[in-house]
Amino acid sequence: MNRLRVLRAERRWSQAELAERLGVSRQTVNAIETGKFDPSLPLAFAIAKVFESKIEEIFTPA
Amino acid sequence: MVSAAFTPRDRHNYAIFSRWMVGAMLVFVAATISIDAKWIPNAGGWALTILSVALMLLSIRAYIYFLRNADELLRKVHLDALALAFGFGTVAMMGYRLCERLGAPKLDINDSFLVMLLTWAAAQWFGFRRYAGDEEA
Repeated sequence: MNRLRVLRAERRWSQAELAERLGVSRQTVNAIETGKFDPSLPLAFAIAKVFESKIEEIFTPA
Repeated sequence: MVSAAFTPRDRHNYAIFSRWMVGAMLVFVAATISIDAKWIPNAGGWALTILSVALMLLSIRAYIYFLRNADELLRKVHLDALALAFGFGTVAMMGYRLCERLGAPKLDINDSFLVMLLTWAAAQWFGFRRYAGDEEA
């Protein structure tokens, strides 16, 4: 469970834009948003930094 | 589907791996044909063999570099594919040895290698498909 799609939509970023900011592929962003893939801790920290949030505000246990 | 899984850095690193791989295969084929047809002296055959193995080792080095620096989902797909390929190859090799004892036609070690290679390619395809998704803005 995560709020990645909501946070991205609030900033009107495409998946490709977010992927570029994170230095990952668009497929990775899509897979995280859809819950098919759990990011590593460094990537989760990078996501939190991009959205200026805490990790626990973006990701919640399933 | 596949291109969305690669960052520009991954594409660059994979292209380097592919170039080493193609080079290694070309030298391997040239060495095989030249040695079999006795077009070159024994020393030349050894030189081509060493060159071929060296290029294969450089391919492995390039692949490991690609893998270590790859996008984490891409790395997961590749590692899953490698595990499946190794597993299926081993099962095929050992299982078929028993089948041979029961009367199945004899195969050589290259056939297991083919199973590994095909499984590696198929597992990557399924992996990319599994994580594929259309962009939602």
